[in-house]
Formats: sequence, structure tokens, C-alpha cells
Amino acid sequence: MNINDFDLKSISTHIEGTEDFISIDNDKCNLCNRCLVICIMNLWKKREGKIVLAEDYKQKCVECAACYQVCEPGAINFQYPAGGTGVVFEQG
Amino acid sequence: MKEYDIVIVGGGPGGSMAAKVAAEKGLKTIFFERGRKPGEKNSSGCGLGPRMWRSWPNMMKTLTEDKCPSLRAGRFARNYLVDKKGEVSAMILARPTESVAYEPAKSFITMNCYRSEFDPWIADLATNAGAELKCSLLIKGLIKENGTVKGVIDEKGEKYMAPIVIGADGAVSMVAKQSGLRDKWYHDHITLVPQYDFYAPREKIDLIMHEEALAIWWMAGGIPSAYQVFFGDGFHVGLGNWMHSWERNPLYYLNYVVNLKHFQRTIKMLDAKPREVQAHLLPWMPYPEKTYANGVMLIGDAAGFPCPLEAEGIFPAMESAEIAVEVAAEAIAEGDYSENKLKEYERRWQEESSIGTEFEAGPELWSVWKALPFNAKNMDWFIPMVSEALTGIFDWSEPHKVRIRQIIAHVKKYLPQAMPTLMSELVPLFTKALEDDMGKLMDPAIMPTLINSLPKLMSLMPDKKKKRRRRK
Ligand SMILES: Cc1cc2nc3c(=O)[nH]c(=O)nc-3n(C[C@H](O)[C@H](O)[C@H](O)COP(=O)(O)OP(=O)(O)OC[C@H]3O[C@@H](n4cnc5c(N)ncnc54)[C@H](O)[C@@H]3O)c2cc1C
Ligand code: SF4
Ligand code: SF4
Repeated sequence: MNINDFDLKSISTHIEGTEDFISIDNDKCNLCNRCLVICIMNLWKKREGKIVLAEDYKQKCVECAACYQVCEPGAINFQYPAGGTGVVFEQG
Repeated sequence: MKEYDIVIVGGGPGGSMAAKVAAEKGLKTIFFERGRKPGEKNSSGCGLGPRMWRSWPNMMKTLTEDKCPSLRAGRFARNYLVDKKGEVSAMILARPTESVAYEPAKSFITMNCYRSEFDPWIADLATNAGAELKCSLLIKGLIKENGTVKGVIDEKGEKYMAPIVIGADGAVSMVAKQSGLRDKWYHDHITLVPQYDFYAPREKIDLIMHEEALAIWWMAGGIPSAYQVFFGDGFHVGLGNWMHSWERNPLYYLNYVVNLKHFQRTIKMLDAKPREVQAHLLPWMPYPEKTYANGVMLIGDAAGFPCPLEAEGIFPAMESAEIAVEVAAEAIAEGDYSENKLKEYERRWQEESSIGTEFEAGPELWSVWKALPFNAKNMDWFIPMVSEALTGIFDWSEPHKVRIRQIIAHVKKYLPQAMPTLMSELVPLFTKALEDDMGKLMDPAIMPTLINSLPKLMSLMPDKKKKRRRRK
């Protein structure tokens, strides 16, 4: 079994909420690419020279806040999702 | 609007311990957890250190397998030394050594269990003591009047007032931010730790790992060193690094470890299957920043307390909880919630707790970890040098005398790279660790013995090569 062979989403559990909890302010972004590199779920992409967050991030984000923490100019806003929603770690 | 003596944000080990102690003191206490139950947002898959049993013997006695089926004692730790090519070049089994004096530390290094079982266990102790717990509820903000924290507000707009608020809300702490104590961490004070949980049948782990329920994969080749921790029916494998040290996706490095030939063999033997992917921030710093302000104190990860060498964080979270509640109770009795009063919290954790003692050598310990297990350049000489020195003698192709010369010559080759790092990292650490005992080291009773043995040692050094022949 090779670890690259399985789909990350199949080994994480989510209770999807309705409200957004991560957003980006592209005016503040300096395109350093750090968020692209650090997100283990690959939820940040560069499209037409702009950083964008995956549309289905609420089904995949593990709420580590690494993207928020690594963004020096403060372009990424992060709050935890509503209580009782989001990622569930059953064997954390 | 509801009123309490003490409001605690967070239902992890720090928050629950604080709530338990506060309720036992008769304070009207509430604590909040954003997960549906404590533990379901936390991934550390925790090794509990024996000092928890020393500090809280009665409490720890109640952490039994029926409450926490994932419990597994990590008696021994396998240390795999992995070279640049991804081959295991040596494996060293570590167990509590002769100098470990304290029982139960003699019989295990860590007691391992899942946070999804540990956190509810400790939260139950708090609610049984009379604290109120609200789950599935996100605390959104602090209520402040004239620069003093007076309470918190939840996501629905409900207010909870108290003269003391404890920020036990972990590494991404809203309380730290809104009280003005910290906006973001310095990038080299916080690590990201991704990990996989693997399922493996309990009997297989019992048989194959037996008491070796911990492992460290010390990596050369630009991969941060990884840990492996075994539980009742599974194991974690994970690794960490500071924010700016990730040159590629963190899972690239973790997958590299999991895909090692040797690791894959373990997976096959254990019949293991990936079950969950997790990632969490973990504060890891040379010394914590300020931990109190008017009406508020930070404990555990919110304060930056994981130990500076290996980032053990459960114990300091619980120890700081006790200290913060003690100070809170005094503040309430005196009716003084100012930062001038709460400064006493910082004084006590610095001067009267193991957290303070740990951080006495914080910058040195933190620097050693940064310079070795997470430093590609240094691990590339460390792994072959240590493997050579410890295991090089096991070779039957040459007479042993020749072999010893070969090993020394080989180790010597690495010394120009190794010495500067070892000197700049280890000398400051040992000097700091021994500063209280310098007198003892220079003990007049030992010195003469040492000095007397020197000429004898010198006489063993031949000045020219002597041929040895059978004694006649
Ligand atoms: C991968 C990994 C491995 C680790 N391994 C070990 C180990 O083996 N041994 C060890 O001792 N330590 C280990 N640690 C460190 C340890 O996990 C932490 O130090 C410890 O959990 C800190 O406890 P805490 O109570 O301060 O914070 P946390 O455990 O983070 O608890 C904070 C709680 O607050 C809740 N919360 C946060 N914000 C809000 C809000 N606004 N409203 C409501 N609830 C909120 C969170 O959901 C969480 O439950 C590890 C850490 C990681 C990441
Ligand atoms: S980390 Fe921040 S600044 Fe850098 S690319 Fe991402 S959003 Fe832009
Ligand atoms: S919080 Fe973590 S998982 Fe979610 S988008 Fe940011 S980096 Fe990715």
C-alpha cells in the first residue's frame, strides 16, 4: 500500500456548516505562496495571478489555521467554524 | 446575561483541569468547547508523561481502560536512524535508564491514548465537581470595560460575565488575540504537525510491537524526524516543523517517511490501514510571552507552555491551570482582578512550577531541537556518524583492530561539520543545566581521584607501535 494512493478526503470526517470561516483579502496578499505550500488539504490555489480558496473548503479543511498563521501580511482571515460543525477527529 | 466567578474558554486538558479545580474550590464555573464533545477537535494522540501520576495520583488512578480503551503503555522507544537514501542504518531501543529514580517512570516513558477519550474523561471530572460545560458552542469575543476583561460572548450573542476569564483555547487563541496579549505567533515559535492515524488490530500490535509502543524515525536527507505512537488499536505517525521551514507540502515529508521500505514492512506486518488525517498547530518556543492582563490569564497552549525540547504540552497545560485558578481564587477573595494582582500567576509559574524550571534552559533546549532533528544539513552528518560510532564494530570482514581504525577514521571525517554545531549547541545547554551544580562537579573529593588516574591513562598511550606476541 502506497500512502500517495489514497484520497485524503476519504480519511477525514466533516459536519459541514453553512457559514464561511476563512476568507482572503487579495489586496493585502503579496503572492508569497506560503499558504499554497503549507495547506495539507491543498485548499489554496493560484488562478490568473490571484490566490483563491477552494470552493468546497468547508468539506475538507482540518481547521489547523496554518494558512492564517503563515500569512505575514495578514491577507487570510480565519475563525473557527460554528460550534458543533467542521472537522471531527475520532482518533486525534 | 449570565454571571459566574470564573469563565474558561476551551475544554482541552488545560480548560477542564481549570474548571475542575475551580469547582472544587466552590467557585461558580463555566467552560466552553466548540466541538460536540471535548477532544473531537484535538489531535495530539497523546503520550502522557509519568509526572502526571506523580502530581495527581488520585485523579490519574481513575484513567482506566474502560474509560479510555485506547490506552497503551509506551515502555520502550525504538529509534530508527534513517540515512539520506532512506535506509535504516541503525535501530536503538531506548528504555528508562538506571538513573530514572521515579516509579512509574521506571516502567513507562509515556502512557498513550487518544484525545477523543482523554479529553472527555477529564471534562467529566470537572462537571462532576460542579462546573458547567457547554459544548458545540464557539466563543467569539471578549467583553471589555475600560481595558479590563469582564466576560465573553458566544456565537449566538449570549453573554457570560465573570471577573476572571481563563484563556484555555489552545494554539489559535481568541482570548490571547482579543486581550491584546498576542496577535499571531512569531513564525519560529509555532510548528505545524500533520499526522496520520492508522488502524491496526490490537492483537497484532500486542504481538509485533509488544512493549515497544513508541518510535522515533531520525531522518537524514532533508526530512524532519518523525514520531510513531501506538494506541489500543492503532498508531499515529507524524512530524512537525516551524512555519517558515516547510519548503514543500507537509504531507510530502510525512508520506516520505510512511513510504520508507522499513515503514511499509511494519504496515504489512501489522495489517495496518490509514484511518484519519489530522493537522494541528503546536507552540514550540524558547520562552513564553506575557500570560496575563486585566481580568484574564492564559494557560496551556494559549500561553505557549509546551516544553521547549519535545513540546510535551498536556502536563504544563494542567499544571498552569492549577496555578491560574489558585491566583483567581485569591483575586476573587481580595476583589482585585487587575493585572497587578494577576502578575502573581506569572511569578508562580516561573518560580514555583516545573514549567518555569523547564524554560530556565528553554532557549538552549529549543535551539538543540532546531539544530538537529529538524535540520537537514546537520542530520546528514549526524545519522551516519552516530550509526558508525555505535554499530560500526559489527563487521566480520576485517580484524577488529583494523575495523576500529576504520571507524575512527570515518567518524573523524564528519567531525569538521559536527564539531561547530555540537560545541555551539551542547556546551551552552550543559553549562545552563549544570549551573547549580558546578561546585559539586569540582568536588574536592572527586578531583584527586580524577587527577590521579590521569598519569595511568597517559601510560596506556604507547609512544611507538609495539608488536604484541604470545607471552613466554
Ligand atoms: C500532533 C501533536 C502531538 C502532540 N503530542 C503530545 C504528546 O504526546 N504529549 C503531550 O503532552 N503533548 C502533546 N502535544 C501537545 C498537546 O496536544 C497540547 O500542548 C495540549 O493539548 C494543550 O492543551 P490545552 O488545553 O492548552 O489546549 P487544547 O488541547 O488545544 O484545547 C483547547 C480547546 O479549546 C477549544 N476551543 C478553542 N477555541 C475555542 C473557542 N473560541 N470557543 C470554544 N472552544 C474553543 C478547542 O476545540 C480545544 O478543545 C502534541 C500536539 C500536537 C499538535
Ligand atoms: S500566505 Fe498570504 S500573502 Fe502569501 S500568498 Fe497566501 S494569502 Fe498571499
Ligand atoms: S486551516 Fe489548515 S486545512 Fe484549512 S485551509 Fe488553512 S491550512 Fe488548509
